[in-house]
Amino acid sequence: MRPLLVLTFALLSVSAHAADLVKDVRARLLDAPLIRGQFEQKKTVAGFKKPLVSKGDFLLARDQGVLWNTRTPFASTLTVTRKSLSAEQGTGGAAYHLDSAKEPALAAVNELLFSLLAGDVAALQKRFTVEGELVGAAGWTLELTPTDAGLARVFKHIHLEGDGYVRQVRLDETRGDVSVIVFDQLARTPPPDATETERLGK
Amino acid sequence: MANKLAIFWALVVLAVGAHQVHFWRNAHLDTDVLALLPEDEQAPEVDAAMRKLADEAGRQLVLLVGAKDWPSAQRAADEATRVLEASADDLEPAVLGTAALEQAVDFYRPYRDRLLTPAQRQWLTRATPEELGGTALMKLYQPAGAQLTDWNADPLGMWPDWWQARAAETSARPRDGRLWLSGEGREWVLLTWKSKVSAFALGDGSRVTAAVEKARAQVEAAVPGGRLVAAGVPLYAEAAAAQASWEMSTIGFGSLAAVLLLVWLTFRSLRPILLVGVSLTLGCAVALTVTALVFDRVHLLTLVFGSSLVGVAEDYGFHYFAARQGKAPSERGPVMRSLLPGMVLALVTSVVAYLALGVAPFPGLRQMAVFSAAGLTAAFLTVVFWFPAMDTGALPITPFAQRFSASITRWPRIASTRGWWATAAILTVLVAVGIWKLEPRDDLRQLQGAPAPLIADQRELGRLLGLPSPAQFYLVEGDSDEQVLAREAALKRQLDTLIADKVFAGYRAVSDWLPSEAQQREDAALSARAEAQAVAAVSASTGEAPTRAAFAEEPLTPSRFLAGPAAAAIRQQWLGNLGKQQYSVLMLRGLNDPKVLPRLAEAARGLEGIRWVDKTAEISGLLSRYRLIMGWLIVAGYVAVLLTLVARFGREAWRAWIPSVLGTLLTLATFGWAGAPLQLFTVLGLVLLLGMGVDYGIFLLEHPGDGSAWLAVALAGVSTLLSFGLLGLSATPALRSFGLAMLLGEVTIWIITPCFRPPDGKATH
Repeated sequence: MRPLLVLTFALLSVSAHAADLVKDVRARLLDAPLIRGQFEQKKTVAGFKKPLVSKGDFLLARDQGVLWNTRTPFASTLTVTRKSLSAEQGTGGAAYHLDSAKEPALAAVNELLFSLLAGDVAALQKRFTVEGELVGAAGWTLELTPTDAGLARVFKHIHLEGDGYVRQVRLDETRGDVSVIVFDQLARTPPPDATETERLGK
Repeated sequence: MANKLAIFWALVVLAVGAHQVHFWRNAHLDTDVLALLPEDEQAPEVDAAMRKLADEAGRQLVLLVGAKDWPSAQRAADEATRVLEASADDLEPAVLGTAALEQAVDFYRPYRDRLLTPAQRQWLTRATPEELGGTALMKLYQPAGAQLTDWNADPLGMWPDWWQARAAETSARPRDGRLWLSGEGREWVLLTWKSKVSAFALGDGSRVTAAVEKARAQVEAAVPGGRLVAAGVPLYAEAAAAQASWEMSTIGFGSLAAVLLLVWLTFRSLRPILLVGVSLTLGCAVALTVTALVFDRVHLLTLVFGSSLVGVAEDYGFHYFAARQGKAPSERGPVMRSLLPGMVLALVTSVVAYLALGVAPFPGLRQMAVFSAAGLTAAFLTVVFWFPAMDTGALPITPFAQRFSASITRWPRIASTRGWWATAAILTVLVAVGIWKLEPRDDLRQLQGAPAPLIADQRELGRLLGLPSPAQFYLVEGDSDEQVLAREAALKRQLDTLIADKVFAGYRAVSDWLPSEAQQREDAALSARAEAQAVAAVSASTGEAPTRAAFAEEPLTPSRFLAGPAAAAIRQQWLGNLGKQQYSVLMLRGLNDPKVLPRLAEAARGLEGIRWVDKTAEISGLLSRYRLIMGWLIVAGYVAVLLTLVARFGREAWRAWIPSVLGTLLTLATFGWAGAPLQLFTVLGLVLLLGMGVDYGIFLLEHPGDGSAWLAVALAGVSTLLSFGLLGLSATPALRSFGLAMLLGEVTIWIITPCFRPPDGKATH
């Protein structure tokens, strides 16, 4: 995740023509301060013939942060809060911990993750050209293209699909890796339990 | 004979004139404070290091633009950039941008496996195969695993960490495409610019400063709570140049005007004004030429100091005209001949005193000494060779001159009375207490007259950015590149414990960017072993057979590194070959407390090839040492002068000698009472006092009861007082202290010298 330091070369850039679309997509999204759900991620990486599949669950609490729990093929937790980013292996030992007070890039990563999971189009618009269309009565798709060189070094495109929630994210990396993350069993409850609160408090 | 000499002098003057034209066209003027400092003969490599660090920084301009929140700070930075871009003739942005970073990443890519941080080294040594495998898997499966390189070239994801450690050398971080930092209640954007003109070339005006001030005004006007902090050698150089030229014109022209006014009042004739003006102009021109020939470059401060020369150099002209006033034009030759012994003696004592300034090994002082001695001699020769030939008309005594000459008869004269003894006793007590209260202070800041806002900005910037200190560093020496890098590594291990104790913030070392070959081999082996285990674990878990990427066979060598794009940041710290040895400089960041310096000196102890350099302390030590040496020189000087005076005036010699001694003591006592510190430059003022104060006594003894001698002495005193008094206005503490010592001493000596004149009618020789 630390390579996302490069993200920070992002510049403000608002694309005016997308204003109507953005308004419509926002109207279709639920305003949820908390989202829980399952995910399945398929990642195609150079040097690996088959996609790398991982599954798990996640928690997004708007004011606290994101917990990304991978359950298979091995257990690990990625915690992103306003203050820090840390990763733990299933055995409990912290693999790393970064303080965002010292690294503003983290705040940017944080913001991007939040925006992607929550479908915060307004925030995404600051860093991407947003194109897309409304699908059916409730659905929509968005195609994000980075507007600054720093972010473009990491992502070619980001593709989002959803309805009241973001249902799928596809990350096309500049290096050629592609991750497709599909969300399932999305809900706005229950609130974080004690363990989760403790992790998000770090 | 006299005509031949006049012609000879005219030829010299012509040659000097030609040189002057050449000199001002090419203006070899120095404004660099470092040029004033003595070279360290014992450690030329320390000087080389200092100069390299200074050269490298010579054109850099660092600006922090801040506001209370990040969006306003960005807006403020845009405003500042817009203004600075308008000065494209003088300034260009220094590219710190993404392209440079990308080039550096590409350059290091083949060597990725042998670039480890100390923490990584530790982790790889103790991590279990499970931990390594787990970490590799986690990085592989992470969503959006944007890497600086492919997964198989960095399976444990350590490469970004290494870069982050390099980035830790500054507290500025990339944010939204800018360099950001937060501190002192504001969010800041870091901007770096470069001056297109050399900092030390004397340009026309303060153009870089003007651009920065415009940007500052714009930021403050356009963004509420906006602030701009700027630092850089170009700003200092421009401030120094502006100040020096202001002082040159104030002191130089101010005292010239005052002197010419006095001449007019006294003689009411144009001829003395013109001739005295000629002698002064020639004095300065010859002084400049001689200095330029001897030193190649002339420092601006030399010119400032030299402007005060005016006040001394006109003494000879005054003596001539005062003695010649009211006499027939045909008596010019005899008048000059009768004056010569006293004038030569006065010239010799003054020149010797000026040259004594050059005893201290400060190139700046030596220049001033040569400048003054040459200028004084030239003014003297102009008077002797040219005045009798050119001053043909009559010169009647003016009422002003008459009144002044007569005033000597009303001047008190010491005698063995109760009143005089009481005065002497009171003075003795006042002087003793004053001298007892004197406090020496020898710090480097005397040499710098930089404007206070500039210094405040520099400090704030240093605090916010954690810039490395240029005055304190470690010099690392070795037989080879490899040994230097290895010794740096040993030093860093010592320093890491001090950093952990928060003694200072961190260091910048070449070996951070270019590890020694041995270290590279070791790290390559370590990462190869660990990453092989990690790749094997991933292979077992995914059922695929990824392979670890190959890296460069050869180590990264100094020559390859220095030729590459990553070296720019650190090149000035790699001194390379000096003599037979190799050198590098290790710089320290966040060094805010002088009290920790002994611990830093201690850290280098016992490490071979490492020297702790504290230039500030060294220079202070030097200033202190020379203050003492010059102090003793004054004592010796007074003894020598007394002997010379005795040789000429016999038992009456004390009359010319005592006033200068008293003037010196009273000046010291006044400094003591006023709480002004005693510095090397105060002492240097006293050295000159010794040379010039005695002049008055000499003239009054040479021509006892002669009103014209008193008139000349009075004129000389007033004009000297004016010129050095104006030097007391200088913004450079050293010059100010020097000027004040001269001013006080001259006034005192001037007032008390007539008190010691011999009784009327008493022959002195």
